[in-house]
Formats: sequence, C-alpha cells, structure tokens
Amino acid sequence: MIVAQLIPKQAEQLKGFEFRQDSFFNPIQDINDNWIISLEEQRQCDIYWVKDLPLIEYLPKETTNLF
Amino acid sequence: MSYYKIISLMPKAPAYDADAQAFITATGITDVTQKNAVNQLVLDLKGYSIWTKFNALYPFVGGTATTHKFNLKNPLDTDGAFRLSFIGGWTHSANGALPNGTNAYANSFITPSTSLNLNSTHISYYSRTTGAVGNCFGAANIGLTNRTLWQFGGSNNYIAIYTLPSFYFSYGSANSLSMLIANRTASNLSNAWQGGIKKATSTNTPTALTTVPIYFGGNNANGTTDTYSNAQCAFASIGDGLSDTEASNFYTAVQAFQTSLSRQI
Repeated sequence: MIVAQLIPKQAEQLKGFEFRQDSFFNPIQDINDNWIISLEEQRQCDIYWVKDLPLIEYLPKETTNLF
Repeated sequence: MSYYKIISLMPKAPAYDADAQAFITATGITDVTQKNAVNQLVLDLKGYSIWTKFNALYPFVGGTATTHKFNLKNPLDTDGAFRLSFIGGWTHSANGALPNGTNAYANSFITPSTSLNLNSTHISYYSRTTGAVGNCFGAANIGLTNRTLWQFGGSNNYIAIYTLPSFYFSYGSANSLSMLIANRTASNLSNAWQGGIKKATSTNTPTALTTVPIYFGGNNANGTTDTYSNAQCAFASIGDGLSDTEASNFYTAVQAFQTSLSRQI
C-alpha cells in the first residue's frame, strides 16, 4: 500500500486538523517510524503542500496478537 | 375554483415520524428514497418496541462524512449527542463509509462506563466487505482489560464485551459480511449474531465497563488506536442488550432499510 510521507513537524501540524468537512487528519508512524497519512486524506484535502508529499510503501508496525 | 380549493388539491409532502424528520433535517438529505428509508426504519424499530434500546443509531445515508456522522436517536452536531467524528482515511459513498484499514476510525463518544450497562449492552456493525481485517469496533482499558470488540481474524470472528483479554469468544467464518451484533444480556450470557443468525454464545463474565469511548473501524486501546479495519460500514448502533427476538427483529428492520437503499448484503 502506498501512503504519503511527512516529516515530524508536518505530522504535528496535521494531527486533528479538519481536511474536509467532518473529516480529520490522522498521521501515524510506520515500522521505520516514518510519519505517514493515507492517500484518502491526501486526495480529499485542499492543502497544496500535502498534495506534493512524497509517496512511500506502507509497512505497518508489528502488532501484538490479541488472542 | 378558489385559491384555497386549488391549494387543497395540491399533493402534500409525506408526513414523517418526528424522530425521522429531525434526522432528515439535521443531515439535509433530500433524496426521497433515502428519506422514506429512514422513516420506515424508525417506524419499524418503534413497531418492534426496541427504539428505546438504543443510545445511538448510525444509518450512514447521504454519502458524505457530514450526513454519515449523525446519530438518528439524537441528531445534534455535538459529542454529547454521540455524533461520529471521522479520523484518518475514510471513503464515503451511497453504500456507506469505508475505512482504509491503515489509519481510519470513527469516535462514537460513547463511553461504556458513563452511558452503558455492564450486563446489558449491544454493539452492531453492518459490514459490506468480505474477508475484512481488524476491529470493526473496539474499546479497551490498560492491559486490554474490560475489552469490548468484534475482530476479524482470518478465518475467525472474535467477540468480547467488557471482559479480560483471555475471555473473548469466537466462531469460525472468513465471511465478514452483513449485520454483526455483539450482545450481552446478563452477567453470564453474551452472544454474537451475523446476518440475523445467532452464531455463538458465551458465559464469560464481565469485569468492568470500559472507560474510554467505543471506536468504529478500529480499536480504542485506552486512548491509542490500533487494529484498524477495512470493513465498509452501512449501519451501526450501540445500546442495551437485546433478547433473541429483539436481535432478530432488529436485523429484519435494518435489512429492510438496506434493501430499500439497494445496498443490502
């Protein structure tokens, strides 16, 4: 899966920011601690610098098996 | 013919149930099929005498985050009215709201410890995605205690309502489609429903009500979100526990609602 990569300062800027009516950014970190947002957020927002973010392959963090 | 007689001959707009009309007004939906579907859903739930069982009903009509966020039981645009807040990558359409399985979830603002009952709770999620992953809903406290969830785990569905980490119950199915209801009706009785059929029953006892809000599309792990899901949601609810008859009737009403919107599973 492809996602848009952020630097930490950008992630801080976007966290909780309304990118479209009633929809809010949720920057998260991948397995390498890169900050990312989804392509859905990138496509639906109107912020020009978000549109220009570099794209990377998303590698999720390891999660503990709950069961 | 007088002016008044002409007025009286003009077709009248249908009169909707007051609760349905409040939701229609709040969402601003104008499509007659959608408005009629919402109205019939309200009438059916009242007809089955289960309308009062719900803290929140999310019909997901109108195709946008703004129309999908409203709670049919209390369609105010406030956290206190349990209006959904969509976080991360969602795609909204006439078929519902699709979380991306990466960073999307919706906060219901319903905290079990302040709004629900330990031995009487249900949570439902109408999934339009087969082979889905993650938690279609979830909330837990530190150490995964008081855990409440429905998790798709490969060929199994895992369900818990206010239990310790090891006290989940499950049933085998890779099919994550249709209306899913996790239901607790007593301290020693929980069950799981899929598509109007009771799939599993558990005698696991609850520990305590979860003290963080229930999320849809992911799990609220005591304030941190994880286990994101990719199951498209066409309806969801949170409320009291439902008897077998009530759960069956609830499914019948919601399935009729989905059918009227041509998006039933």
